[in-house]
Amino acid sequence: MHRSHVLVAVVAAAMLVVPAGALAQDYPPPKDPGNQSGKSRGKGRTLTVCKKGCGYRTIQKAIDAATGKDTIRVKKGRYHEGIQIVGSRYNGLKLIGDAKHPKRVLIEGKGLKGGDAQNAVLINNSDDVTVDGFYARHYKANCFFATNLEDYVLNHLVAENCGDYGVYAFNSKGGKMLNSEAYYNPDSGFYVGQTPPQAGRKKRTLVKNVTSWGNVLGFSGTNMRYTTITKSRWFNNGAGIVPNMLTSEKFWPPTGNVISNNDVFWNNFNFYPAAPFKVPQISAADLPYPVGVGILLYGSQDTLVVGNKISGNYLAGLSEIPAVHLLGDKNPKVAAAAVLRGNGVRQNEFGAGGDLNGRDIAYDGSGSGNCFSGNTVRSPTVPADGSTLVECGTANVVAPNALSEIITMGLGDPKSPDTFEAHWIKHPHPARKGVKPLERYRG
Amino acid sequence: MPDVGRRDFLAAGGVSLLCSLGGETVKVRSPSDVARVDAAAAALPRPAAAAKTDPVDKLRFTTPGPQPGGQRREYWIAARTVSWDVAPTGRDEWMKRRLPTKGRRTIRAFVYQEWSPGFAKPIRPARIPGPTLHAEVGDVIVVHFSNLDRKLRQAVTMHPHGVRYNPEYDGSYLGDFTRAGGFVEPEEEFTYVWEATPDSVGAWPYHDHGPNHTLNTLRGLFGAVIVREKGAPPPDVEHVLFLHSFPPQVTGFSSLFHAVNGRSFAGNTPTIRARTGQRVSLHVMGMDQNFHTFHIHGHRWRDSGGAFVDCPTLGPNETITVSFVEDNPGRWLYHCHVPPHQSSGMAGWYLVEG
Repeated sequence: MHRSHVLVAVVAAAMLVVPAGALAQDYPPPKDPGNQSGKSRGKGRTLTVCKKGCGYRTIQKAIDAATGKDTIRVKKGRYHEGIQIVGSRYNGLKLIGDAKHPKRVLIEGKGLKGGDAQNAVLINNSDDVTVDGFYARHYKANCFFATNLEDYVLNHLVAENCGDYGVYAFNSKGGKMLNSEAYYNPDSGFYVGQTPPQAGRKKRTLVKNVTSWGNVLGFSGTNMRYTTITKSRWFNNGAGIVPNMLTSEKFWPPTGNVISNNDVFWNNFNFYPAAPFKVPQISAADLPYPVGVGILLYGSQDTLVVGNKISGNYLAGLSEIPAVHLLGDKNPKVAAAAVLRGNGVRQNEFGAGGDLNGRDIAYDGSGSGNCFSGNTVRSPTVPADGSTLVECGTANVVAPNALSEIITMGLGDPKSPDTFEAHWIKHPHPARKGVKPLERYRG
Repeated sequence: MPDVGRRDFLAAGGVSLLCSLGGETVKVRSPSDVARVDAAAAALPRPAAAAKTDPVDKLRFTTPGPQPGGQRREYWIAARTVSWDVAPTGRDEWMKRRLPTKGRRTIRAFVYQEWSPGFAKPIRPARIPGPTLHAEVGDVIVVHFSNLDRKLRQAVTMHPHGVRYNPEYDGSYLGDFTRAGGFVEPEEEFTYVWEATPDSVGAWPYHDHGPNHTLNTLRGLFGAVIVREKGAPPPDVEHVLFLHSFPPQVTGFSSLFHAVNGRSFAGNTPTIRARTGQRVSLHVMGMDQNFHTFHIHGHRWRDSGGAFVDCPTLGPNETITVSFVEDNPGRWLYHCHVPPHQSSGMAGWYLVEG
């Protein structure tokens, strides 16, 4: 039997990768975000929202009265609504809470029903919108959701315990997620996905100075392109940063991404036994991600992982795996896209300060143009002889059985949570200021 | 220092600039003309897909890779405007004189700056010239270029000399025939791929070739590429020296500044240091509308024809490489020998230890 068929059989049998929780929600249909940013020009007004004595008592009413030239300032308080910014009329709109103290401007979803309960803030088809300085929690779908647009700015946000993603951008070009925090989200804290391919000129998405912890995934990027994830902290998630290829969304594979200068540690949150969120139901068609991985490239291309500190992840600090469930796809384009190509892993520091990973790097050597240079490695690798970790400019060499070993060690059965830890190599963590390890949630 | 007024500047050989944008040709004689051209550049729409009536415009090209044994030399370079002091010491050490106050010598420059992968952060200071790109024969130079300017809001590019590229990577605005890399708008990114071929050996400039390239190169949007034979060691001392100028129309000052690498007057321009016995190479490039000469006191070298020279001439975007083994210690002056150029800042120190 062809190797990939063996793998697919193994994977299907054991249910590897990929929750599909987001698909269960009611989302606006994707559309082309366009070719040019549609910034509104001219001077706008400032509309003020507060619970008493301002022009508007709800944020949505201010938005209904605004155009893209305007700035809406929201004073501190608790707002119980689902906010929608929809259409090009709002190109350029600024929705400003308290950038210094975002938790003072709470958008609360608990108790809401219908459309309002879905997202704290939905931006759909409105370019160049800024949302700055808000705290959202308890929405059924997402805390902050930008879709079908260009050049959003999501800044100084706190996203807690929404139904899928904390801060989420989909089918969009360009944009920034900055200075924000996401925790206790049952899919990922931050997500950028289905980035439309942009031939020639392109707009880059920047995720910078964010903190993501206590989520199933710290960062997920299904078919994400041209995105830089940098200077951020990813810890206490099931897995830290996971660009991935799925055919349930368009524009596969993930490509052209940079993951640089992040602190990726302690991603060993086994949420299956207990979690502060509703654990995603895994159907037979779904494949759960492994628990205990810092960075997982699942079917990536032309992605650079550089200058990160990766420590204390019990399964592996970094793993590169082709999108195994698609290697045998009947569409040859899908099968070809599932292969790892042109990924560089450079100058990363694994297991610094005595905070060792279970394994530092796991890569089977498959694909082409995947290279490793200047990394500081302190724990074992898979394969153990490091033969697949070739320098740039050197042809990739497949290590027999390495892919099976990597997949096997990451497999688990949600009904038997301990199985996700069966292949962990645990090391004690040195103390970190203000952070405690989260491996099992105890309320 | 004598303040060079516009009349003096013109009398001294300066020229008014011609900029063509959006179907209009503007004689740039004053800062208000510059503002007009900048506004036109910012408003210029992205070129529509070319009509492609000519077969050459239908050609598609593959992205080259390195030759066997060659490398992929990757750079992340952003274009942005910065506040730039033309003479930060405030003094001309050669003529021992005070220069105009900071407010009258600080301009809005347009520069190329090297960033970390993914444009996460700048890794070199923003300066003139931009980063020097290095390659050996057989390599490809991959430049991820991003237009990060927020002030002028114009499309810009990177256009190289010397290396080989196909039209996709020309980095030139060509009106209706512009390809993607010839019009990179603010917040956009384009990846250029250039080949270092055997006939690329040498030092070459790169510069903006977008729709407003005349003004933007005068603002500092240029840098250098150095290509060596495979395995060839660099000289002991190597510098790129751009000879260029900041005309009053562009700076808004009454004074004209002639500059070396964005700075004017000895003590501000690069001070080059060497020791006797070292192999020295200076790549001198013209980057304005003038012809310049390059003279180093106390030194001679051979030109490309084998003749000894000490004051060769170079034109716009031309390179001369000055190479010699150092044998003459002391403090030396280097300068352009065109009198108004040297007197308005195009001079610097060359210090040789025994």
